[in-house]
Amino acid sequence: MRKRERPDLFLLLALAVVLAVGLLTLYSASRALESGSIFTRQLIWVGLGLGAMGAGYSLSGRMVDEMSTFAWAAVCLLLVLVIPLGSGPAGRWIVLGPVGIQPSELAKAVLILIVAKRLVEMRRRRTRSRELGVLLFALPLVALTWMQPDLGTAAFMCLLTLAMFMWAGFGPEWLFLLLSPLLAALSSMHVLLWAGFTLLLVVVLVRRKLGFGRWLLFLGGNTAIAAATPMIWNLLKPYQQQRLITFINPAADPQGAGWNIIQSQVAIGSGGVTGQGFLHGAQKGLAFLPARHTDFVFSVWAEETGLLGCLLLLAAYWVLIWRLVVTARRSVSPFSSLMVAGIAAFFMLHLFVNVGMALGLMPVTGLPLPLVSYGGSSMVTSLFLLGLALRAGVSWRVI
Amino acid sequence: MRTESFSRSGWPWKTYMAVLILGVAVILARLVYLQVIRGDYYARLAERNHMRVIERPAPRGVILDREGRVLADSRTVFMVSVVPAEFDSADVRLLGRLLHMDPAGVEAEVQRASMRSSYIPCAISTGLTVAEVAGLADNIHRLGGVILDAVPQRRYPMGRALCHLLGHVGPSQEGGMGGRIVGRAGLEAVFDTHLQGTPGYRREIVDAYGRVVEEFGDPGDKLAVPGDSLRLAVDASLQQLAVDRLEVSGRPGAMVVLDWRTGDALCLASWPTFPPNRLSSGITEAGWDSLAGSAEKPMLSRAWAASYPPASTFKLVTAAYLLERGLMGPDYLPDPCYGTYRLGGTEFGCWTSHGRLDVVDALAYSCNVFFYQAVQLGSVDGLAEFAGSMGLGRRVTQVLREERVGLVPDAADLDRMYGSDGWGRGNLLNLGVGQGELLVTPLQMAALAGRIAGGGSMPPVRVILSADTAISRPHVPAAGLSDSTMQVLVAGMRRAVTYSDGTLHRAMGDLPWAVYGKTGTAEVPGEPHSWTIGFLREPRPLAFAVVVENAGSGGAAAAEVAAGVLRRYLAADGFPAGGGS
Repeated sequence: MRKRERPDLFLLLALAVVLAVGLLTLYSASRALESGSIFTRQLIWVGLGLGAMGAGYSLSGRMVDEMSTFAWAAVCLLLVLVIPLGSGPAGRWIVLGPVGIQPSELAKAVLILIVAKRLVEMRRRRTRSRELGVLLFALPLVALTWMQPDLGTAAFMCLLTLAMFMWAGFGPEWLFLLLSPLLAALSSMHVLLWAGFTLLLVVVLVRRKLGFGRWLLFLGGNTAIAAATPMIWNLLKPYQQQRLITFINPAADPQGAGWNIIQSQVAIGSGGVTGQGFLHGAQKGLAFLPARHTDFVFSVWAEETGLLGCLLLLAAYWVLIWRLVVTARRSVSPFSSLMVAGIAAFFMLHLFVNVGMALGLMPVTGLPLPLVSYGGSSMVTSLFLLGLALRAGVSWRVI
Repeated sequence: MRTESFSRSGWPWKTYMAVLILGVAVILARLVYLQVIRGDYYARLAERNHMRVIERPAPRGVILDREGRVLADSRTVFMVSVVPAEFDSADVRLLGRLLHMDPAGVEAEVQRASMRSSYIPCAISTGLTVAEVAGLADNIHRLGGVILDAVPQRRYPMGRALCHLLGHVGPSQEGGMGGRIVGRAGLEAVFDTHLQGTPGYRREIVDAYGRVVEEFGDPGDKLAVPGDSLRLAVDASLQQLAVDRLEVSGRPGAMVVLDWRTGDALCLASWPTFPPNRLSSGITEAGWDSLAGSAEKPMLSRAWAASYPPASTFKLVTAAYLLERGLMGPDYLPDPCYGTYRLGGTEFGCWTSHGRLDVVDALAYSCNVFFYQAVQLGSVDGLAEFAGSMGLGRRVTQVLREERVGLVPDAADLDRMYGSDGWGRGNLLNLGVGQGELLVTPLQMAALAGRIAGGGSMPPVRVILSADTAISRPHVPAAGLSDSTMQVLVAGMRRAVTYSDGTLHRAMGDLPWAVYGKTGTAEVPGEPHSWTIGFLREPRPLAFAVVVENAGSGGAAAAEVAAGVLRRYLAADGFPAGGGS
């Protein structure tokens, strides 16, 4: 065992920049909202998050490995509880005294841990036929999140799982099979879509030379999902249907999503190269965006600091993810490597989906920009994951 | 346990880095597009995210009649306005469908609104039905720059009866269709500042596309302060009776009734009328054109804004002038009337052969030949000066817009018209019987009747009971008729009713009150106008004047209108038609 190295300084520097940007933006947004408590609370969340990061940093890979099953079970329980107990605007919060926990945020972190753990298990047994064991753990998280319904987060979790499978060496056809339940559900919208999907599924199944059991599972399971989706759809309340429609086609929502996207683009565009100036943007273009301190926080920053500020934030984020990928690549422990790769994918996908949404490139999903958006669950989860990654980077020679 | 890197093959991490670089590159490209290439455009759009101030029009003040009956108040209606700069012309079809309007019509309204201002909301439709309001409310979030609002709208419960007196409201001239609602005619216009009130406003935040993001509650809003009320001297029931009776006569005309003890204008009726409620709720251009262009001129108040030759009613003035100035004694007896009077080579007609008459009977029978002879005792200038002192040729009130002063020509006027040797004694003869160049309004003639009733003077005519201090009453010279003159005039006017062949006997002979009157038949191209003026002392001090256009000779039409209205009005007022005089 070698002497402990210092944590990754690049990563810490990038983290400091991103956190600073986030707090500045929220300060500005809270001023415009005339709700200083948002900024104060976010300061508390950052403090709590840094504590969580310290806690994550203090955990060895083995401890995380062993904890992950319990964490998974606990989060599954929360996800079940949020369905009857949920509060907040979309019913996604569990309120415990003064704080509200958003279980779907925790679910993303737990998904990384459990998928990493199960993939390592699978690898240890030297077989790829155990990929279903991985899905067995991932699916409840995705499905329960879907049922909230938080389709954006559920889809995000699918992509995250996919990224981790890719890191584990799975090729495109496997990735297709992994995604097949989601694709099956989506394909049920139109009979031609469904036919195309099923044809593709059969081709992949033939090419992978899978046994009868797998054939039955993939084909039968996906057909069942495709058949059940319309029935479940009809059981949903109109506002839930509306939310799903909006996710798939934002333009179908006349009042909400499409409008937010336009507003966001106006705000970003009006920032120009140098921005409207700190504290000056939020009075203008973005003053009318309800989610400006959460989902569209990037737009506030872009409006006030312009292209230059965006470059700073993107550079910091880029360094953060780059250092995570490097850490994942250098990790000798399969679990740490997979976990950190998952964490890298976590930040990367969030960045693309959230900023892409603000820029009008992605559908509106309500995914936050980690470390920047307002919200305790996201902040604490993100910093805890970074703590784990920092530890993995330090102790990559130590198993 | 064997360590094994997952990234041994290299492609997973390369894929990660490729996705990272590609993703950030796409984001950067998009940022450059939005912030650098389109930056100015979005900056302009962002500026338009602004606070919109929407005026809350104040309800106009209530107008009451002398009994407190409501003549004009406000009701709440729904109005759609458009802020042209925020309105997407692609929404024209949706808006048209929701408002049951032709899309082209909506477009035209928006176009007109944008000529005024691109940023000020402009009304495009008022008085929406419940279904239209509901449909619009459901879709308002799609319609940028469209505002649905509840606004007060002027209402005239009495409808047409008082339309000329009250006038109507409409968008201010400079504003076009969406302009501020102001009084456009009648007392609504004259007392506009009094009735107007103070508009309030509400503020709301709109986005770059004109959609409401949030509304300010209090204290961002300011409530409108309703306008002050106005109380008129008019008696709405009498006015209604008069308009209805004029309508029965079927000819354009007017009836004015004054209380000659107080000067209160109890009735200022004119027919035909216009629908003031329709005008106030936003009339179409075609509807306006058909009203304004109608041959019967329904927008014209014949009670004060039209002038007519007074005809024989003016004989009262001629007689009073000659008696008062001592040019003629009460016992003056000229040559008998054989139906015509010759002056030089010209023949002046009378409507029948009256024989020898004194001035009282000449008034009662309205004999032209008597006055042709008598007026030659005076002069054009003397007659004009005296008629002026009786209130003719000048305004009666200050508050009635477009009130005509009429014309009582003196020698200088006739010189101007015909040249100094272009007129002569014949003109004096015509003026003496109320023809020629003379022009008077029914309001002036009612005031004249009231003046005779009051012994030569009458308090100034009063249209407004409240808020009257603001309006200075015109100075009315007191004529001060002598008792002997009064006796002649009153007797002549009474005998016109009581004589079985008096001019008013047929129409008014059976009225249970002592009515004093004088008829007139104004020679004009076509059928002559019919005049009746007169007064009562009991049961109420009323002076009246009625004119019915082109009603034919004999003066019967106007007399019947006057008699019919008085009979029903006084009966309804508790003075039974069977009561003695």
